[in-house]
Amino acid sequence: MLSGCYVVDALSQAERAEFERHLTNCPACEDEVRGLRETATRLALAAAVEPPPAMEQRVLAATYHTRQLPPLPSHARRARVARWFSGQTPATGGRRPLVTRLAVGVAAVAVVVAAGLGITEATTQHQLNNARASGSAITRIVTATDARTEHMPATGGGTVTVVMSARYRAAVVTSRDMPALSDARVYQVWVMSGSGARSVGLLDRGGSVLAGSVMAGDKIGITVEPAGGTSQPTTTPVVTMPVSA
Amino acid sequence: MVVMSRPEVRKLKPASGPGEEPEADQAALLILVARGDHGAFERLYRQLAGPVYGVVRQVLRDPAQSEEVAQEVLLEVWRTASRFDPDRGSAASWALTIAHRRAVDRVRSENASTAREAKAAPDIMTEHDNVSEAVEASLERQRVTRCLEGLTELQREAIKLSYYGGYSYPQVGQLLGVALGTVKTRIRDGLIRMRDCMGVAW
Repeated sequence: MLSGCYVVDALSQAERAEFERHLTNCPACEDEVRGLRETATRLALAAAVEPPPAMEQRVLAATYHTRQLPPLPSHARRARVARWFSGQTPATGGRRPLVTRLAVGVAAVAVVVAAGLGITEATTQHQLNNARASGSAITRIVTATDARTEHMPATGGGTVTVVMSARYRAAVVTSRDMPALSDARVYQVWVMSGSGARSVGLLDRGGSVLAGSVMAGDKIGITVEPAGGTSQPTTTPVVTMPVSA
Repeated sequence: MVVMSRPEVRKLKPASGPGEEPEADQAALLILVARGDHGAFERLYRQLAGPVYGVVRQVLRDPAQSEEVAQEVLLEVWRTASRFDPDRGSAASWALTIAHRRAVDRVRSENASTAREAKAAPDIMTEHDNVSEAVEASLERQRVTRCLEGLTELQREAIKLSYYGGYSYPQVGQLLGVALGTVKTRIRDGLIRMRDCMGVAW
């Protein structure tokens, strides 16, 4: 069995490539490799050495000149995301128009997520890359193995859904059937904790907001604010949802 | 309008050192890094630069070359962060796999042109007598050393030569004077015992 050699990089390039092909067909091998790889990681952690201090600034500076790879959606992810989008039917019933057009396929999922993030034709490629990367983070959180979903009706109508992953300490907030606002007003999402309210974004119709660094005991709140949002809530939340552990 | 977390997200926690942020936070940081979050990358750098540099240095030995490769690895972490799949392993193992592989590939390509002297299996304790280290790394090192002691000599030497020494399994077989099949099973058995000794969850 080559799993040990694989994990310590003792295989040749050809053997490594062949073993990786084998892994795609052997879930049991994949499981074993995962555990042994984490073990090898401990070997690396034990060998930690403070690097030359100058290295930090060089690396950080270089990141400003280095493009990042966009994410690759995987088949399994697509299916999970599709199930999530279509499966979240609240008590009020009804589906978002976006979901009914959902088709299997990379482009379709990208469009759904992009539409959920409020992307239009006018968006620049840079914004689109950021949004796709952001869409990927949203996807990971909603498909995390520890993701927990809560629904709550909002004052004035509609339902807010929060998917929380303790693993990522992040939540994805979406809404359905909330009353449309005039152009002068917007729904704003906050993370509320003992130290106050922190804005995590504006919630468009059919859109999602990613809230990061969320801890158990925090609350997700949504308020109606002037278009463009505010730095602190100025109205009583239409919904407040505690974040469970 | 594009909606996403504001930069405030990365200011919430104070800067922390290696080992202080649990695994879930490293994964979250890496997800933020994939979205272009430089603040998250800086925090992740402080967690991972020591282990990246250290493991590269174990394999390459030469400090200047190690620094060069470690820099490349950390930049690769930035560049390919979107490829990290949290369901398949921790952020640390993702990054340190890149690091270890890159160091080994560098050694193997050098071996193709020059003969490499056989070296004794590196001892991770003595390597660090003259080098500064973080406290957390020291605790992890004690744990690993203790668990390595619980292996048979053949298992321990095979793991040290392959992982820390960067040797291929045929080279390990030559250095230890054992058959290829024996090398493979000793490495695997040794890692399984290490895994159980250290209580690795996966």
